[in-house]
Amino acid sequence: MSNVLPKPVLRLINEFGRLPGIGPKTASRLTFYLLRGNDAGLAADLSAALAELSENTQYCTACHNITEQNPCEVCSDTERDQQVICVVEEPLDVVAIERSRMFGGVYHVLHGALSPVEGIGPDDLKIGELIGRVQQGDFREVILATNATLEGDTTASYLQMRLADTAVRVTRLARGLPVGGDIEYTDEVTLGRALEGRRELK
Amino acid sequence: MRLTHLSLTNFRNFGRLDLPVGAGVTLVHGANAQGKTNLLEAIYYLATTRSPYTNQDDQLINWDAGYEGAQVVVGRLVAHVDTADGTRHLELRLIRELKGHKTTFRREALVDRRKVRLLDLLGNLRVVLFVPTDLDLVTGSPASRRRYLDITLCQRNRHYCRTLSQYNKILEQRNALLRQMAEQGTRNNQDVLDLYTQRLVEAAGQIFAIRARLIDTLARDVQRIHYEQLTAGNESLRLLYRPRLAGSDVDETESADWLYNHVDNPTIIAERMQTALADTLSYDIRRGATSIGPHRDDWVFQVNGRSLRHYGSRGQQRSAVLALKLGEIAGIKADTGASPILLLDDVMAELDGTRRQHLITALQQMPQAMITSAETTIFPPDFLAQTEQLAVDGGRVHSVI
Repeated sequence: MSNVLPKPVLRLINEFGRLPGIGPKTASRLTFYLLRGNDAGLAADLSAALAELSENTQYCTACHNITEQNPCEVCSDTERDQQVICVVEEPLDVVAIERSRMFGGVYHVLHGALSPVEGIGPDDLKIGELIGRVQQGDFREVILATNATLEGDTTASYLQMRLADTAVRVTRLARGLPVGGDIEYTDEVTLGRALEGRRELK
Repeated sequence: MRLTHLSLTNFRNFGRLDLPVGAGVTLVHGANAQGKTNLLEAIYYLATTRSPYTNQDDQLINWDAGYEGAQVVVGRLVAHVDTADGTRHLELRLIRELKGHKTTFRREALVDRRKVRLLDLLGNLRVVLFVPTDLDLVTGSPASRRRYLDITLCQRNRHYCRTLSQYNKILEQRNALLRQMAEQGTRNNQDVLDLYTQRLVEAAGQIFAIRARLIDTLARDVQRIHYEQLTAGNESLRLLYRPRLAGSDVDETESADWLYNHVDNPTIIAERMQTALADTLSYDIRRGATSIGPHRDDWVFQVNGRSLRHYGSRGQQRSAVLALKLGEIAGIKADTGASPILLLDDVMAELDGTRRQHLITALQQMPQAMITSAETTIFPPDFLAQTEQLAVDGGRVHSVI
């Protein structure tokens, strides 16, 4: 194949192949779809979108989420409660929490979780930034919304320790039964956690 | 509980196998390297999700399966099991996928055609496996004894299995951190290490306590069978737990005594391990590994108060392992009310006459068993008459009438 195809085609196949979830076959199929030009303007739109992606996005200096403007829309929204921070691992976690429509505060994106196996320590995450933000700002509450995995839990414990000497209230997302869940089919660990985190009704 | 049907696709040297399995003893024979062992391995794998022979599960997929550069290759094991509550359909899939330039491997488990976690497959099919290498358990490495014990105990206690897998994840992270501390110094990492240590000892406290109890239960069955059935009251065997919950300066017998006194209190056990870990920290950083914990445990046999490993004859060591296997059967029966399936891989040829007779007696009492052998002449004719016989030849199985 490498001898027959022109260099630009090969190059695009190679670049597609670097994306997660795309193997050599899909990469060639995508490339040839663009090349045939059945969908007028697709290649041009795509290249414009890619250019915009790198030119017009940046990280918000307050919450470190991806944004077009700095500070980001959430951080500059005066309607939102600027005294409550929700700490998450990834930008997509912000999207998920926004979808719940239950949170009206601001975010802090760590860009990962502690994991010595992958060589990720506190200095590799936006943890110092979070501490600085809490110490300098006027905050009531920090909600730790890291994943319920070993890495996410450890990161939450670490943050809890680092925030211990500030006046702010530190909370962790509850865990337990999923909505629509059947107690009979829930695993022991989840059920145990749900019992631990039960709530007073009266 | 009875296995009624086994089907394999792309597992080891089986391209495709559909095998109805009868009650009683099934004798599988054939020349070497034809697939006798693989058949037992498949049943064992469905019961435990572990192979007795390898930790690299992707090797279980048939070597010839799929074409060169195939995107996905799937190995499939399916068993039909008759239980008190009706017929269960158990399935385990081994999936090798080519993603870009990387090959990934994952497993899927299904019970009654519904996807479940691998852990939930355990307990649906219970087996006791006896392979020739088990005869070296007494003299072999502590790692092989731990592996054996873990698989056995996981079949009997799911909580143990879950805690153990959690413990291993924490241990992996902690060891990675210790190696980083050796390279970069301890300053920035001490806080994170403390967090992992805390989690590690919490899980370890549970594991020490459960292991102590389970080993105690197993030991009682093994000791009784050894005394009553195998040595006619002449020798007393003991199976003893040797927990590593303190540094090497503390005698392990002492650790075991202490543990049995605190077996109801995992928190105190965790605290003791935490103190011990603090003492070995600088050593552990240099080594880049955690030197104390259940991952360094061991267990030993004693006969008449003396170490079987050091002072036992080869025959005594074999009797002890035989007692261990029969004890496993008795234990599963006591736990669940149902006999496990006994799988014997070419063990008969390794045993002398008396021990062989003990095993044949045990076999005849099993509701279901599968044994492999290269030759049938080592079995007594009246035993052979009661067995169903299968011949394995190049990954194909046919019944012999």
